[in-house]
Amino acid sequence: MADDQATRRDVRDTYEEIADHFSKTREYAWPEVESFVESAGNVDLALDVGCGNGRHAELLATGAAEVLALDASRGLLLESRERLASLGDRVALVQGDAASLPLDDDSVGLAVYVATLHHLPRREDRRRSLDELARVLAPDGRALVSAWSTAHDRFDASADDAVGFDTTIDWTRPGDEVVPRFYHIYAPDEFREDVAASGLALVDFEISSGNCYAVVRPEGKRP
Amino acid sequence: MKEDLMDIICCPLDKQELELTVDERDGDDVIDGTLTCTECGERYPIEEGIPNLLPPDMRDDIPA
Repeated sequence: MADDQATRRDVRDTYEEIADHFSKTREYAWPEVESFVESAGNVDLALDVGCGNGRHAELLATGAAEVLALDASRGLLLESRERLASLGDRVALVQGDAASLPLDDDSVGLAVYVATLHHLPRREDRRRSLDELARVLAPDGRALVSAWSTAHDRFDASADDAVGFDTTIDWTRPGDEVVPRFYHIYAPDEFREDVAASGLALVDFEISSGNCYAVVRPEGKRP
Repeated sequence: MKEDLMDIICCPLDKQELELTVDERDGDDVIDGTLTCTECGERYPIEEGIPNLLPPDMRDDIPA
């Protein structure tokens, strides 16, 4: 059983394979992320965990002196580098794992962890990644965490389910080559439960366009 | 990567400080080099200016 399960490395490999095409289809920042970043104040350092092609890192740069864009896929980081070239030295690119962040404690004022959590195959890794986010956030730091959910109408599952499910969703490259991607589709209650079990405290929660969105702060750190 | 990134990055495994060895630089920019954990000794490559701080089991150079 365990041998059949996708690993974080498998997911990384998938994105290395589809990075160029994936990037072209992810041109615009999500409106939910725009509102979050707009409502946050200015910070010294912002972090994008799972930056993809850099669309949200670009947004973070509007309110942050410096932005650190992190992704497991080198291919996606190269796409980010191209997209963020005009920001020059204000952007740092780091290849890294959401479940073991290579960043110091309390170093980040603002973070987004968008559409990435659901790519971590094991629940303990997903929870660990939330703990890691709590660890790197400054005491007064805030983050936006999102994941695909059972509330999305493409799934048979219901938003009222207690837990979500694992699935693979195919990515079709030009020329019809199909690349499967691992997803854990979260039930909203399960998502809230994972946040509650982590070092993060929930500030705000909503379901929008079939995704769970949580605004979070680190729990137990005094600003 | 800019050399001042050293102020905030750490070993993904034990979160300890990293030591930078530069093989190629362009001003403040480190193009090629190695980051070595001062505690556990794990080494992380910097290639084409991007530090690879993936834990060893997610990297290419270690057999699964």
